[in-house]
Amino acid sequence: MERGLGSTATRLRWYNRIAIFPGGLRLLNLAIETKNLTKTYKTSSGPQSVVKDLDLQVERGEIFGFLGPNGAGKTTTIKILLGIIDSTSGEASVLGNPAGDIESHRKLSYLPEKPYYYEHMTGMEITQFYASLFGIKDRELCERLLNRVNLGNDMNRPISQYSKGMQQRVGLAQSLLNDPELLFLDEPTGGLDPIAHIEIRDLILKFRDEGRTVFISSHELSDVERICDRVAIINKGEMVHQGRLDQLLSGGRIEITADNVTEELSAKFRNEDTTVSFKAGRLIADIPDSMKPGEVIDAIRGAGGDVVSIIPRRKRLEDLFLESVAGDNVVKGRKLSKMTDDHDDHVGSGSGEIKEEEVSS
Amino acid sequence: MNAVMSIAKTTIGEAIRRRVLLVILLIGVLFLVIAPGLSVLSARQNYTVLTSFTLGIIQLTSAVIAIVLTVYLLPNEVERRTIYTILSKPVYRWHFLLGKYLGAVGALAMMMLLMSTVLVLVFKIMQKDASMDDVMRLATAPIFFFVQMSLLAAVAMFFSTFVSPIVNIFLSGGVYLVGTLFSPVFQDLSNNKSLSPAVKGAATLVHTVVPNFAQYNIQGGIINRGPELRSVELYYVTIVGYALIYITVFLIAGMMIFDRKEV
Repeated sequence: MERGLGSTATRLRWYNRIAIFPGGLRLLNLAIETKNLTKTYKTSSGPQSVVKDLDLQVERGEIFGFLGPNGAGKTTTIKILLGIIDSTSGEASVLGNPAGDIESHRKLSYLPEKPYYYEHMTGMEITQFYASLFGIKDRELCERLLNRVNLGNDMNRPISQYSKGMQQRVGLAQSLLNDPELLFLDEPTGGLDPIAHIEIRDLILKFRDEGRTVFISSHELSDVERICDRVAIINKGEMVHQGRLDQLLSGGRIEITADNVTEELSAKFRNEDTTVSFKAGRLIADIPDSMKPGEVIDAIRGAGGDVVSIIPRRKRLEDLFLESVAGDNVVKGRKLSKMTDDHDDHVGSGSGEIKEEEVSS
Repeated sequence: MNAVMSIAKTTIGEAIRRRVLLVILLIGVLFLVIAPGLSVLSARQNYTVLTSFTLGIIQLTSAVIAIVLTVYLLPNEVERRTIYTILSKPVYRWHFLLGKYLGAVGALAMMMLLMSTVLVLVFKIMQKDASMDDVMRLATAPIFFFVQMSLLAAVAMFFSTFVSPIVNIFLSGGVYLVGTLFSPVFQDLSNNKSLSPAVKGAATLVHTVVPNFAQYNIQGGIINRGPELRSVELYYVTIVGYALIYITVFLIAGMMIFDRKEV
């Protein structure tokens, strides 16, 4: 069987999704499902829930972003899904099996945040080591995978001589050894230079094209917004949002620009949900679309103003994220960024970094 | 078992590159090399001093290596998070623990083999008239030290599933000292009919729980060339079997704890 290059994942997809139940055949569309998943630790100050009643659904073949501030419970959830720790209560299933089931482990892969490898080994030896854990002794497969992640010329160099990006690529190569149906990637682009960053992002998109499910835990919101189909945002162990990105980010804001407007009229639009600027008869009003923009436009025209432009702006994931965790993790006084459809200027800037800057200032 | 052997192989590769272990090994080898010089200062016979001193060096160095090597095996994997990647593969936790243990024993074997080779070379150079039989008798001792150290590594591996490395050093070191120095005492106490049942019971408990490391110190017979056992082979088989039983018990107990441990 050819492994690690995608064809098998695509081939196996259809029958892995069907299960026989008493009522007949049923399509299994969920790669990951949790119900009321809870993890509580005993601490000196009493029981502390790190994950609380988490209901998570990840569909097969999608890229799913799992977001939350530091300490939100992301890593704990991943550990439960991988069977590294047990939940206190609730259910978790992965690829149709209970979380931690060794059969599921044959079909999934995990790339931890900042992976560490035995430094005395070369990229090839590391890949062969992980292959051996699956009982795979195919050196050619390891070579092909290392070539795929652009380490063909460096596979025989010790890991200690690898850059961070190269180590991350070794991690991706090892994560493809078993031709996984499901990949867990924890901060896959964290700390990488822009080129390595883009390369890995493109690889993740290819994984989806090959029919794999990719579960990404990341602080790189711009990446998540670019590549994920669905996201979940958790805060303090609780689910805040879960759904398709286009749905979650709909319901944005509208920027209306008008000339020949009086200051009295512009004052009417000012409230806590709007941002209004007025200078020399020009009004620029940034309003939520829930504010019925038609009425605003009618009011401007009715007062003799000329509407110059109406620009609908989609909500940004960063804004949704900040709204979701506001009050807990966001520095007080930070004004949510204005809605914009220009997402390209945020490659590589995670919300975590923004928060740190705010704290230091 | 592919996974177990792969983990063991990787553990050996890493262990033989750990600087702290190499420094301890180097010190041990250095003492073996200068041992003949030290024996000149002694009024006792050259053979006796040389043999007891060099075997003592090998035993002490091996014990330190066994403890330092084993106590960090699991905690390091958790700290560096390599364990998560490994356990996300179709690898049971007992595979991981057994692989780590076998790797530790493999690394120990390599290091002890080096020291034993140096020992034999030094002995051959200093005792030019020594017979092949003498050399073979001398070389037997490190083999039983190896069995002893494998048992000590199993003890340290067991403790590493639930205590920190520093605590483990003291616990494993303590068990080794008690098992080496006091095991015969506890054995005598447990067989002493004049003692109260409570004291005898306590002595029996300690004698049973703490492995008898003392029985692997066969250097006394080598040094003094005293009367030999009726069946040396049977004795050797018995003590090796004893070690295997204790190693199995400690590893299974460790696996049971590690299986439930949240890493």
